[in-house]
Amino acid sequence: MAHVSVPMYWRTVPQRYGMVGQRCRKCDAVNFPPKGVCKYCNASSEFDEVKLSGKGKVHTFVLIGAGGAPPEFAEQEKAGGMYPVAIVELDEGPKVIGQIADVNPKDVKMGMPVSTELRKIYSEEGVIRYGFKFIPEELSR
Amino acid sequence: MNMKKVAIVGAGQSRYGDFPEKGIKELFFESYQDMTKSVDKGMDPKRIGAAYVGNLGSGGFQLGNMSALVSEFVGLPYIHTVRVENACASGGYALISACMDILSGAHDVVLAGGVEKMTDVSGVKQKYWLGVSGDTEYERLAGTTFAGLYALIAHRHMHEFGTKREHLSEVAVKNHKNGAQNPKAQFQKEITLEKAMKSPYVAYPLNLFDCCSTTDGASSLLVCDAEIAKEFTDTPIYVAGFGSSSDYLAIHDRISTVTLEGTKRAAANAYDMAGLSAKDMQLAEVHDCFTIAELLACEDLGFCEKGKAGQFVEDGHTRIDGDKPVNPSGGLKSKGHPIGSTGTGQAYEMFNQLRGTVDKPTRQVGDAEIGLIHNVGGSGGTVSVSILRR
Repeated sequence: MAHVSVPMYWRTVPQRYGMVGQRCRKCDAVNFPPKGVCKYCNASSEFDEVKLSGKGKVHTFVLIGAGGAPPEFAEQEKAGGMYPVAIVELDEGPKVIGQIADVNPKDVKMGMPVSTELRKIYSEEGVIRYGFKFIPEELSR
Repeated sequence: MNMKKVAIVGAGQSRYGDFPEKGIKELFFESYQDMTKSVDKGMDPKRIGAAYVGNLGSGGFQLGNMSALVSEFVGLPYIHTVRVENACASGGYALISACMDILSGAHDVVLAGGVEKMTDVSGVKQKYWLGVSGDTEYERLAGTTFAGLYALIAHRHMHEFGTKREHLSEVAVKNHKNGAQNPKAQFQKEITLEKAMKSPYVAYPLNLFDCCSTTDGASSLLVCDAEIAKEFTDTPIYVAGFGSSSDYLAIHDRISTVTLEGTKRAAANAYDMAGLSAKDMQLAEVHDCFTIAELLACEDLGFCEKGKAGQFVEDGHTRIDGDKPVNPSGGLKSKGHPIGSTGTGQAYEMFNQLRGTVDKPTRQVGDAEIGLIHNVGGSGGTVSVSILRR
């Protein structure tokens, strides 16, 4: 089952709460989410921690609807009718997937500037899981 | 250099569809018996030294030792048997495992097959279960299923190359037209472009008719050292080349959003081994779990330029009567996608296409000598390609 246990989630809290990535000591590229070996040079596992700005641009997106949501997100789909999920190219280089919040799904555009905020993602095993979502840059505080 | 060659001398497939009365054992047996019947000069099961069985999860019912279970059920106890799991590419990898076994000299007659039982599982559990082959930590937790992931690829493909919504639907229409001529297909029904365009968006820009279904089914291949192939048939089909490649599991980690690097590399290896190129492929069975996946396959296998697959399909190249027929079986879209069986099921179709023994002549592609099969795991995390030749 595509089930993410609380311990499994807990191990990714630095990424989900704080956008903590890795800067490769060999090639200087930023990995996010983290890798064992740098995905850009495949030659080093020596990293420095780096906190990302959370800012980026929509690289591509999908609007999930009409029963297309996984069961743990079905309630969200039912409530909103449709929700956008994007791959965002972050200012520091890496791309990462996440939902876009606070937007009419029909207004999401390719290249749209976004930034992250800590939001409720979903709940499983009676535990609410928080993490980053993207919001349109014009709305960011 | 290894001088051994591999041949396929028998191929069978169960009906694909929804079969309440059959579990993995019965489905696998149906394909095994069908394979046995296809061996022209007969086959003594005692010759089979190993079995590689593609399977994702048996619907979650027999996660451990399932290959031993289905092997003994068909009368093959006491052999080297392994379940091969690479998500939706399990079957393609089962065939490659069989080839590697034979090339190593470990065994000279090997069974390669696959089976999946998907319809016993409720819709909700189904989506849980099928979500296991992408990146669970990030992609799944962003609220996507596989349709969502392929939609991310499709949307970027449309944005970068001007691929049209119609192009996606044309793939569905073509594959249903072919599948309507396949007595073993899950959906033996043609659909109109209008119907394909108007179905609800489950993951915009993909709609319901861009997605394959869930399917019960199995397939079996009798694979042997080419040296002894003529003991089984006068018309063996040779595995001229094979290749496979993994990729980053999450799409956001990949070099490109609109290219399956696994497909490019698997194909390059297979072409190299066969001493052939994309232009030599006279037909192909490709992994069209979603319509966009068939467009990516046409590009990444080298059948057309990157970004041009929409036009390539629109121009009719991939139809049965085109110059590069793709998915004459109906593909995953219409024939069905019983995950573990899909790859060896593609080989079953190609075996018959190249021997001119397709069950319905309306689906037979001319007089083809060389064909390619392409099997993708997840959204491209694993890919296998094999080139079959008369």
